Amino acid sequence: MTDLPRRDFIRSAAGTTAAVGAMAVPKVYGQATNDTLQVALIGCGGRGTGAASNALRVGNGPTKLVAMADVFENRLEISLSALNNEFRETPDKVDVPKDRRHVGFDAYEKALDALNPGDIAVFATPLAFRWVHFQKAIEKGLHVFMEKPLIADGPSAKRMLELSKKADEKNLKCAVGLMIRHCRGRQQLHQRIQDGEIGDIIAMRAYRMQGVIGSCFSTKKPEHKSEVEWQIERFHSFLWASGGSFSDFYIHQIDETSWMKNAFPIKAHAVGGRHYRHNEDGELYVDQNFDTYSVEYTYPDGTKLFFDGRNMLGCQNEMSSVVHGTKGSAFVSKFGHSPRGVSSYKDQEQNRRQRIWEYDTPKLSPYDLEWEDFVDAIVNDKPYNEVPRGVEASLVTSMGRMAAHTGQEITIEQMRECPQMFAPDADKMTMDGPAPVMPDADGLYPIPKPGINKKFEYVIEA
Amino acid sequence: MTKIHQQIVEASGEVSQDDFKNYRQTIPRTGVEFEMVAVPGGSFTMGSPEDEEDREDNEGPQQQVTVSPFWMGKCEVTWDEYEPYMITQAPRDKNGARKDYDPATDDIVDGVSQPTPPYTEMSFGMGQTGYPAISMTQHAANKYCQWLSAQTGHFYRLPTEAEWEYACRAGTTGPYSFDADAMEDHAWFYDNSDDKYQQVGQLKPNPFGLHDMHGNVMEWTADQYEDDYFDRIADNTTDPIVRPIKLYPRSVRGGSWYDDPEQLRSAYRRGSDPSWKDQDPQLPRSIWYHTDALWVGFRVVRPMQVPDVKTMDAFWNSATDAR
Repeated sequence: MTDLPRRDFIRSAAGTTAAVGAMAVPKVYGQATNDTLQVALIGCGGRGTGAASNALRVGNGPTKLVAMADVFENRLEISLSALNNEFRETPDKVDVPKDRRHVGFDAYEKALDALNPGDIAVFATPLAFRWVHFQKAIEKGLHVFMEKPLIADGPSAKRMLELSKKADEKNLKCAVGLMIRHCRGRQQLHQRIQDGEIGDIIAMRAYRMQGVIGSCFSTKKPEHKSEVEWQIERFHSFLWASGGSFSDFYIHQIDETSWMKNAFPIKAHAVGGRHYRHNEDGELYVDQNFDTYSVEYTYPDGTKLFFDGRNMLGCQNEMSSVVHGTKGSAFVSKFGHSPRGVSSYKDQEQNRRQRIWEYDTPKLSPYDLEWEDFVDAIVNDKPYNEVPRGVEASLVTSMGRMAAHTGQEITIEQMRECPQMFAPDADKMTMDGPAPVMPDADGLYPIPKPGINKKFEYVIEA
Repeated sequence: MTKIHQQIVEASGEVSQDDFKNYRQTIPRTGVEFEMVAVPGGSFTMGSPEDEEDREDNEGPQQQVTVSPFWMGKCEVTWDEYEPYMITQAPRDKNGARKDYDPATDDIVDGVSQPTPPYTEMSFGMGQTGYPAISMTQHAANKYCQWLSAQTGHFYRLPTEAEWEYACRAGTTGPYSFDADAMEDHAWFYDNSDDKYQQVGQLKPNPFGLHDMHGNVMEWTADQYEDDYFDRIADNTTDPIVRPIKLYPRSVRGGSWYDDPEQLRSAYRRGSDPSWKDQDPQLPRSIWYHTDALWVGFRVVRPMQVPDVKTMDAFWNSATDAR
């Protein structure tokens, strides 16, 4: 058994017998001498740790966490202890001794050094660092799983697409954390819609209306924290770090409805604003977000997607998406991201007595399934690069945000060609150095001014 | 904890029989009101008889059980009451303790752990104003009770399984506290709920005046769920409780909008499960949310007799380090 080539070992473990065809591109899996797919986690927050856990639970390949990196030591330690606890019955899944725990802005590089070509890097840091880390992973011949969104501005989109081509040249598999695409329920719904179950799609609606969640609103930076440290901690508050609450929270539903439509929107106009500027204790919010957004996205054939987003306590919540066809309608999401309630209807009201079909909720969540598919592609060398689609989803999401923030109709070309790069020096950032946006004398950061700043989402005063 | 206890003893330590009546409570921090119903103590036959239709093995053997007087929420706790506790802008550790807590200047209400904000909205689009709060862990419900107690001077906690069934039956002995033919007048369940929970208190109450004990949302109790509950309490049938020693399963009662009538029966029992957090994409998984339990809520009780501080602690911090 120990003499078997690694690829064959995993093939037999996965129960597949597919023949190895002639490949025009180099195979990067199977170069290492051991039988394990090693994983390095870059960005050890709650979602990164969750992604690592999904990676280690995957059923079709022997995965193992070997290195971790974060800019905060305490985040890394919390993450590691959560993983140790989660895998207490299979402790060899988590093998991250002190010398493979790395802290700082160059920590990602050290963690990637622990991997061999053909292993897996997981990127779950604020998105401004995505291209920096991706570049290094490609150099090292690593497969990559990266969290959404991938970019928040046009220049970064172009950079990611160029890198994506390089990844293809090296036959590296790239997964993007838009896990809904891997939900078996939504896949079945997509097929049903293609088969004409609800006719032609004529309109779509999606909502993400909720209380104040994540780090979307921030009051003035505490004095004892460095600017960069604090902005990374409060990443939803800053467009450079997350694309703001808009991109980070809304991308899933914009992507999943676009998937059902088999297209991405080409323009958007939007309204939005910030009604409440103070927290419950009367302290001023200083972040870059609006608290309400309403977007009309237009697809190439004129079909519309209406998207409403709100972060406001005490208002009616809603997190769902619905597509309307000429012969009926469907819930792409009924209860948030859960596969529960994915269903189609003969009417336009989703009345359960008019229901045609409802997905039978499975054991595996979409967060696990996206890893099953990714590792399957690595082990069986299937074409797998979700980066172009992930960039496009991130870009059209940003287009809606930019339309709200500028007060203008924004086309996809305008979004892509807008030269503003929110964090051009992401590869040179230091904890004590300047942050991509700096506060004014009152502690406020540059905010969108619709109708005044028509070409840029915010302007940094010289 | 001792301070909260002291405050409660001073405010409501001695309640005379004359004062034991229904009342309306305003939550000082939010101004939101809720109603409490006085439930007289007494003895009842807990569990279901072997010949009850749809009976399950964990519903007996029946026991004669005695419970002391308590007040119980007339309705399930609503989002109006729960959401301001659940979502705050204060900086918190994952365990919900305020990072900036200063015992010298902050009061005892701020000293109570509260949830970290959810990553997604937790009403799942089913409505908030007047609707029952859902998807909280039993721990989150316990801490809500402590938060409420710290600012009202009354000891609030989850009902025990015995108290819950006593209150649900309200003197009745059949499968429901009403005639099964009148199901739609008393309970929200799969066939009449249109795939979602409904505003509390719309349907007819039970003989004690409590609404939605059957259906709408299942309700947390304070007990560990055990199949052999009735054997465990056999030696102590006065105010029995099976104290939790592990995280799962914990006991829920009453059935929900998602259930069929047989799961709404007074004696029907079930326990929580780790799968109630399947869709939580974060690790460590939040101690505050059951992202997949769209049918679990709770109501509060207040025992007439104020217990000692150790007992309060056991209710509010119920084997929190267990797994």
